[in-house]
Amino acid sequence: MSDSLAKRAGAPAALIGLVLVVVPSVLAYYDKGYFYQLATLSLIYALLASSLHLVTGAAGLLHLGQAAFYGVGAYVAALAGVHYGIPFILGVPLAGIGAALAAVLVALPTMRLVSIYFAVATLAIGEMVYLVLLNWVGLTGGPNGVVMFSGIDLFGYDLGTRLGAYFAVAITVSVSIWVIHRLTHSYYGNALRALREDDQCTDAMGIDTIRLKVGVFAISAFFAGVAGALWAYTTGYISPEDFSFSASILILAMVVVGGLGSLPGAIIGALLLILLPEALRGIGNLRNITVGITMLSVIIFLPRGLMGEVSALHFFRSRFASAWPGSGTRKVGWR
Amino acid sequence: MIDPYYLQQLVIGLSLGLTYALIAIGFTLIFGVLNVVNFAHSEIYTIGAFTGLLLITAFAPPLLAVVFVVLAVGALAGFGLERLAFKPFRRFSDEASLKSRAMRESTLMSSLAVSIIVREALTLAFGSQFQQVPLAYLINQPIRLGPVTIVRGDIIILVVAALMLGGLQYLLTRTRIGLSIRAVSDNHMGAKYAGINTDRTIIMTFALGSMMGAAAGILVGLYYGAIFPAMGFEPSIKAFVAMVMGGLVSIPGAVITALILGVSESMATTFVSSVWSDMVAYSFLILTLVFFPQGLFGKGRERV
Repeated sequence: MSDSLAKRAGAPAALIGLVLVVVPSVLAYYDKGYFYQLATLSLIYALLASSLHLVTGAAGLLHLGQAAFYGVGAYVAALAGVHYGIPFILGVPLAGIGAALAAVLVALPTMRLVSIYFAVATLAIGEMVYLVLLNWVGLTGGPNGVVMFSGIDLFGYDLGTRLGAYFAVAITVSVSIWVIHRLTHSYYGNALRALREDDQCTDAMGIDTIRLKVGVFAISAFFAGVAGALWAYTTGYISPEDFSFSASILILAMVVVGGLGSLPGAIIGALLLILLPEALRGIGNLRNITVGITMLSVIIFLPRGLMGEVSALHFFRSRFASAWPGSGTRKVGWR
Repeated sequence: MIDPYYLQQLVIGLSLGLTYALIAIGFTLIFGVLNVVNFAHSEIYTIGAFTGLLLITAFAPPLLAVVFVVLAVGALAGFGLERLAFKPFRRFSDEASLKSRAMRESTLMSSLAVSIIVREALTLAFGSQFQQVPLAYLINQPIRLGPVTIVRGDIIILVVAALMLGGLQYLLTRTRIGLSIRAVSDNHMGAKYAGINTDRTIIMTFALGSMMGAAAGILVGLYYGAIFPAMGFEPSIKAFVAMVMGGLVSIPGAVITALILGVSESMATTFVSSVWSDMVAYSFLILTLVFFPQGLFGKGRERV
């Protein structure tokens, strides 16, 4: 048991150590606002990519409007904070619930559609939400966006320092990604993957595909909304431009680059597509073109992505103890 | 008697619809053959506009010559696009991978990636703002027709759209190339077994569709005097909506729904602020997908 304990706890402990010890110490050592921004942005996009991974990767529904729910979450958190003084600890789940409700409303009429028709419908919905954010000036402030003065506070204790904000974001993102991990690597995840492979067959096996689709869509939107709230709290200013079609495409590109159906892939893709353009910043503003080139070369040369689904599932089954030990080295089921 | 105001709005809407139709024709042609959405069509449109603009500023040739060069560049761009974003995914030609959804969606994403690269390359080269278009080439001289006013560009675009539609119908129904295009769009494997060079047919289709997209780009660019790297995005989404509403494979259907879309948008500005007019297209799209999954003019096809 002792060696299996090391094996089981090693990878998760290393990840937690990286996010909560190593990165903050590096940040505190350099103490530059730019690095803090970059770290927070990477974490937020890692959560966004993971949330899209549930819908597009695991359930195979090509979703071109994830930025809409990201936007809804950000606006819910910002407007609740500005008008009603809702604190961080309530604002984040509230944003998630708001985005999930919006997703259920959207999902009910469109869930009947498959493949490309679903993609087009989500594209239209993303654009509609963007138009509402841009043009409903009375509620959203239109193109000027919303400015939030209240920072992140926990039970009256102000986490206004940059390190405090980083920890708030890191812990929220880690917990959210852990939940997504538990959903993906479980029998629920199996149902999603079955839905992706053949939805009619899944239906025939006794799984309510419509309920499953609406459910996963809402869960994914919930986490996108949480990411939106984090974005609103950390930048203090949101405008519709942050949630346009190109943001949806960026999130999709992250999932595709990392490998469809692979949770670590989505996170790796997010880190790559946020950090690579920043590293190339010296040459000029190459953010979008880097995204395009990375996406195209991965699709053509590594069709399974940087960390394919099979290796990702194997990794989680062996390293994260997501499966029961069978006889010998075999792993059985999910736990 | 109809109020001249509404008549004028109707004419504006029809000309708007025609610009969508110009793009929708090429879009639908490519979708019909490959059954995949070509997201890079909007960039072909932009490339057409920029080629025309470069030509005009460098040599100032007559408009007709510009259009012909743009057609050639469009065909070339379509060829390149097919090689880059679509060909790699036809490595496997067995029945299963032709039907596989993952296959179709990977071409969707590769064309999306190509579209991002082209748009950003144009932005890096020319900047994202409107380009200066020589005034002599703008096709917006007004013409009065009774109570309404149209511009010269309306007539040019109408003629070009009619020529494209007529020419395409002729090509598809009366020539061997058209026959092979229809055969491939009907059944890829069957066409192959019957001895049709499907690879060449697909390239032909891309060249044809992209020629039309590029011509649309320069005409609409000169019509509005607005040529910029992101110009393709919005009209392409509208053209896409028109294609879906028209039933995806029906080219005349796409043209008719493009006109309906244009008129609805211009009429909508009478009742609501013009910033909301884009909402019309998206609501139409959702309503069509939910209530008429076959499109308004489509025939029966696999489930959506």
